[in-house]
Amino acid sequence: MKLSILQNSRYFLFSISLLLLLLLLANWVGLNQESVHFNSQVKPIFNKKCISCHGGVKKNGGFSTMNREEMLRPNESGKPAIVPGKPAESELMRRITAHDPEERMPYEASPLSSKEIGILRQWIKEGAIWGTHWAYVPVQPVKVPAINGFLGLFSAKGSSWANTPIDKFIYTTLKEQQLSPSPRADKATLLRRVSLDLIGMPAPDSIARAYLQDQSPRAFENLVDALLASPRFGERWASMWLDLARYADTKGYERDPGRQIWRYRDWLIRALNADMPYDQFLTEQIAGDLLPNPSDEQYLATAFHRNTSTNDEGGTDNEEFRVAAVLDRVNTTFEGVLGTTFACTQCHGHPYEDIKHEEYYRVLAYFNNTRDEDTYEDYPLLRHYPTADSVKLDSLCTWVAKVSTPQRSMEVYTFLKTLQPSIYSIAGDRFVNCELYDTKTLVMRKDASARFKQVDISGKTKLICRVKTHLDGGRWEIHQDSTNGPLVTAIDLPNTKRDWNLIELDVKAPRGIHDLYWVYQNPGIKEITQGGISFDWFYFTDAFPAEDNPEAKKYQADFWHLLNSRPQTTPIALENPAHMQRTTNVFERGNWIVKGKVVQAGVPKLLGNVPQNAPNNRLGFVQWLVDKKNPLTARTMVNRLWEQVFGMGLVETLEDLGSQGAIPTHPELLDYLAWQFMHQQQWSIKAALKQMLCTNTYQQKAEASPELYEKDPYNRYYARGPRVRLSAEQVRDQALALSGLMSTKMYGPGVMPFQPEGIWASPYGNEKWVLSEGEDRYRRAVYTYHKRTSPYPSMLTFDGTTRDVCTARRIRTNTPLQALVTLNDPVYIDAARALAKRMRYAGTDVDRQIARGYYLALKCKIAPNKQAVLEKLHEKALKKYRSNPKLADELFGTEKYQTRPAVPPWWW
Amino acid sequence: MNPSKFNIYQEALLNSAAFSTRRLFLKHCGMGLGAAALGQLLGSCAPATENANQGVLYDPNNPMMPRAPHFPGKAKSVIYLHMAGAPSQLEMFDYKPDLAKLDGQLCPESLLAGKRFAFIRGVPKMLGPCANFKQRGQSGAWVSDYLPHFAELADEVSFLKAVHTDQFNHAPAQLMMQTGSARLGRPSIGSWVTYGLGSENSNLPGFVVLTSGRQNRDAVKTVWGSGFLPSVYQGVQCRSAGEPVLYLQDPHGIDRDLRKASIDAINEVNRKTYEEFQDPEILSRIAQYEMAYRMQVSAPEVMNINDEPAYIQEMYGVKPGKESFANNALLARKLVEKGVRFVQLYDWGWDTHGTGADGAVDIGLINKCREIDKSMSALILDLKQRGLLDETLVVWGSEFGRTPMQENRNGLELPFKGRDHHADAFTMWMCGGGIKKGVTYGETDEIGFSPVSGRTSVFDVQATILNQLGFDHEKFTHQFQGRPFRLTDVEGEVIRAIV
Repeated sequence: MKLSILQNSRYFLFSISLLLLLLLLANWVGLNQESVHFNSQVKPIFNKKCISCHGGVKKNGGFSTMNREEMLRPNESGKPAIVPGKPAESELMRRITAHDPEERMPYEASPLSSKEIGILRQWIKEGAIWGTHWAYVPVQPVKVPAINGFLGLFSAKGSSWANTPIDKFIYTTLKEQQLSPSPRADKATLLRRVSLDLIGMPAPDSIARAYLQDQSPRAFENLVDALLASPRFGERWASMWLDLARYADTKGYERDPGRQIWRYRDWLIRALNADMPYDQFLTEQIAGDLLPNPSDEQYLATAFHRNTSTNDEGGTDNEEFRVAAVLDRVNTTFEGVLGTTFACTQCHGHPYEDIKHEEYYRVLAYFNNTRDEDTYEDYPLLRHYPTADSVKLDSLCTWVAKVSTPQRSMEVYTFLKTLQPSIYSIAGDRFVNCELYDTKTLVMRKDASARFKQVDISGKTKLICRVKTHLDGGRWEIHQDSTNGPLVTAIDLPNTKRDWNLIELDVKAPRGIHDLYWVYQNPGIKEITQGGISFDWFYFTDAFPAEDNPEAKKYQADFWHLLNSRPQTTPIALENPAHMQRTTNVFERGNWIVKGKVVQAGVPKLLGNVPQNAPNNRLGFVQWLVDKKNPLTARTMVNRLWEQVFGMGLVETLEDLGSQGAIPTHPELLDYLAWQFMHQQQWSIKAALKQMLCTNTYQQKAEASPELYEKDPYNRYYARGPRVRLSAEQVRDQALALSGLMSTKMYGPGVMPFQPEGIWASPYGNEKWVLSEGEDRYRRAVYTYHKRTSPYPSMLTFDGTTRDVCTARRIRTNTPLQALVTLNDPVYIDAARALAKRMRYAGTDVDRQIARGYYLALKCKIAPNKQAVLEKLHEKALKKYRSNPKLADELFGTEKYQTRPAVPPWWW
Repeated sequence: MNPSKFNIYQEALLNSAAFSTRRLFLKHCGMGLGAAALGQLLGSCAPATENANQGVLYDPNNPMMPRAPHFPGKAKSVIYLHMAGAPSQLEMFDYKPDLAKLDGQLCPESLLAGKRFAFIRGVPKMLGPCANFKQRGQSGAWVSDYLPHFAELADEVSFLKAVHTDQFNHAPAQLMMQTGSARLGRPSIGSWVTYGLGSENSNLPGFVVLTSGRQNRDAVKTVWGSGFLPSVYQGVQCRSAGEPVLYLQDPHGIDRDLRKASIDAINEVNRKTYEEFQDPEILSRIAQYEMAYRMQVSAPEVMNINDEPAYIQEMYGVKPGKESFANNALLARKLVEKGVRFVQLYDWGWDTHGTGADGAVDIGLINKCREIDKSMSALILDLKQRGLLDETLVVWGSEFGRTPMQENRNGLELPFKGRDHHADAFTMWMCGGGIKKGVTYGETDEIGFSPVSGRTSVFDVQATILNQLGFDHEKFTHQFQGRPFRLTDVEGEVIRAIV
């Protein structure tokens, strides 16, 4: 670190004097009281001193500092607090300067400083011009600072160092802070740094070797390209997104049973590897089901918002937990995608931002019309047919389109893929001698009836129901409007022998929207308390098309074959059809039971408008989200990518770019990157990352002098390279990769690597942690089965999240329990054994073996002083094991937990 | 070489790094005082005010460093006994002779209007108390004969007889009681306390969880999670069988001597790396390795109950080698004695619906009471005889109570006497840690359905616990998702009658 400012003392003195000049200049501006800046000078005073009593929540005296309109409005005293241009006539000025403590504001707090009073006076004098917080203004193009052109003051060194736009921004701030960049790190360091950043593990040997041998100036860029192209890339970045998506393999809450939703994780890995543009990435996850003729992949993407917890605990109110999930979707979207705090507006107006209570529910209205209702089965589900059945489905739908209409074909397709739109039995009410058992499944007993409100049966001729019985002699009648109203249909129920079956009923030409009454009778039932039929859902439809067509029989058979098959499924989002739309109310004080006024879908005014011609549903919402005028989406994402690479965001609070979030260290750079991301890189995550990595800023040495540490302990100015602790996933993956144990198998259900006994304690279920077989024990961390109530212990110890709710940022800790994991967790003992075997390929000399191990781990030569420490340890251990061979056997021989066969050293 | 042997310069650097970290942290959690000034609705959403720096001095490099609370607290540590599943207050503490008279009669419809129950459907029958009650000690507190040992200690504790919650299902209600929110994602009370106070013993986790009871367990790890607080503050589950703390045992083939040698080598290599990089995180990593080594020694020691004298084992009724509430009660005493900040016991199996004999208030409940009666009484006496009771707050309770009506799940009569979940009124007690002795606060109506006086909420209970430890619950906040969060959300008042 000899690039010190003292060496360039000439420039140093010169720039000091320049700085002084600039300061004087600034002061002079101040003295002349020209143009107060609202966002940087006025708004902070309001936020700090006024807003708790005069803000979005409390408006004491009828006065609020939330926006200009409210501020200029006459308050309870009848006069406005502020008269633009006239500080002397403004009540606000009188009150902040009053001497009477009963009058003086802020009330019962220390008075404003004279400087603050001066700022407010000047601001009112200038017309009380309002400004919007920077993060809510659409991103504008930013000019890259010119390094050479600045009065020729910077050294030639600076201009050659700052040779990319990012470097130019960084260099400019470094100079302002009187710091200088560090030299470039050596190749081994860069190799490890960029590999961990891009693929979350050390580079495979082929890539590593190619880079270390590549002497061209493009060597680093080639390395970045190779890593971006590796399938490991998607696995590493999926880990990041899964925290936002609160992905888990279980449903959460009390029973926390398993949920088959791993295909979403696989979708994510594929999307990231394919570098799906971020706008499309968001569109498919939030509204893939509303795209025209959605593909399986687009449906799968919508599982993003089906990762919410559902509650199977007996006695819980299903609507309560449906609503909880919908609220979670809104909060997750705002926190994760928009980097803004919205959850507080669930109960009242936003305390600091100009967002109203009602606006929360306008956004909620977009999300409030999906088919999920906290059912036991997690409906709606996408059905994954095996290939042969998929072929059948395609030809069936093609045929239906031919003999009927494309619309009818789509209905058949949607129903066979999702069993929707069906009505769940939990929606029933007016139960007579029937009950929702475990509050999830409707069971009808002797002479039972239940009502389903407002069902559209117009023109329908068939009814399909999912039922389970174990008795003969049961009969169902379905009546319109009351239990003895007009008969819609009736059936003598089959005995399904305690298995869920689908039954079809003919419906007699009904019309309109009606309350329907299901009446169950079974004279065979003796005890009034004995259950007769379990009932899951029903679906009204039309008769199978073209029944007189010679092919109809075959296709109808295919239809029922597909319907009765039990393929694997994934929970997805699916919109309610028009006749099943829910209305959305404001919840008074956030309480879902106390419903306030009805609201229509819309976005907060502060954050712009929905694009013209956007549909009024989730698809329209997402079009607003990815609109290039949306001020937050791109900024939030580039800030997140920056944080992943540099260890801290340009705005430290990834979850809040708002006026209460951290102040950006490099606001112009953030906007530059956001603009590039949208307009130049066409939302390419890989391009955005490459731009950040192929900079001198990123490639600096991470070593720092004590002076630099003191000046910039968190490396906020980037006078050195990033040095970031590994994530939970990276800790595991690195150990597996270095030891050669790692399986590179991709995709599939969550795997269960070694975990101590007795970690899982799930009530009611029989689910157990069963150690995976073969290579599945050595899969990357992203594939580890995640149970919400018992996450994989070593992941939690290294600050992994429980995935209960969206987590925008992990907080890193440094604890003794982490040391215990890497010292004693059998996973790491196993890896250590395997690494030892790899080290022995270096030959019989211990010093060479140690050097080899160090090289495998860090791709660089071990320093002699470290080599000496390790040799000493080896010596001590050897002596111990020689004198006590039993101990050595215990370490290497008799473990029940066996390692994979050693891999040859060229494998990586 | 250990941290104490760092040269002065290194030490200063470590301190300065820690200080700047704290400063940074303060900047981000400098919220809270405003909360006091605002109304109930807004409390925890209050924006920062000028002199609001009440944030926690938390240092990521030494997260368990002991810290001072807002004011000197009466209690230093907490033992929280949570009876998961909801014991029936009507068979244990809340004596209702009038309910006996109504036994078997249909519940008046007026009682049911507007109420939501987990399993009761239609009109259930009333169920009279199944236990015999007596007034105990000088205070005359009612305790049933289900708890003969505890009955002797009635004068040591304060009863809260009219606690209420707004959740009537186990997992959400347990979350509510332990984290202040029925939804997932908030820190548990033990996490808050260790976050606020650190821990007195750096060789043991600051927040220890001990579990017992049947295998069907609700909510589990989510009720001792750290939510949005750093994960270091999550409860560490210590087990009375097997390894007391996960990954505590050296692997086969590595003895203590070699373990020490390898930790020394790791630290030596790290120290050389520190010389290159000057990153203070490396120094704290070194310190954590040393602490891990010490924890490997101390944790098994403190978790070993076999070395306790026979009369102590007998007093608690321990079952060495097994997982039991009695063992956990004794361990709790040992842990607070060693300076552990918060010891949380969960005992499952109290969900007495009457669907089976185990869940009958006149059969299974008696057995459950027998399982805890002697040991929780021993815990109080043992803390007292060691002079620890004054500085240890003992809390006993559950997530809700049970109905005076007999459960009629699915609208049917059940084979055994059981009661449904009841959120409106239930009993808790506290003892030690500056809590008054022999007070009974709060009263329910003639049938124990609704509070008539001294009604207290989950938030009041939490506020009181924090108060005993020296925290103003309204100022004890953590900044997350753009606003300061509190354990007590926007509510809660310290229950002055018992402190």
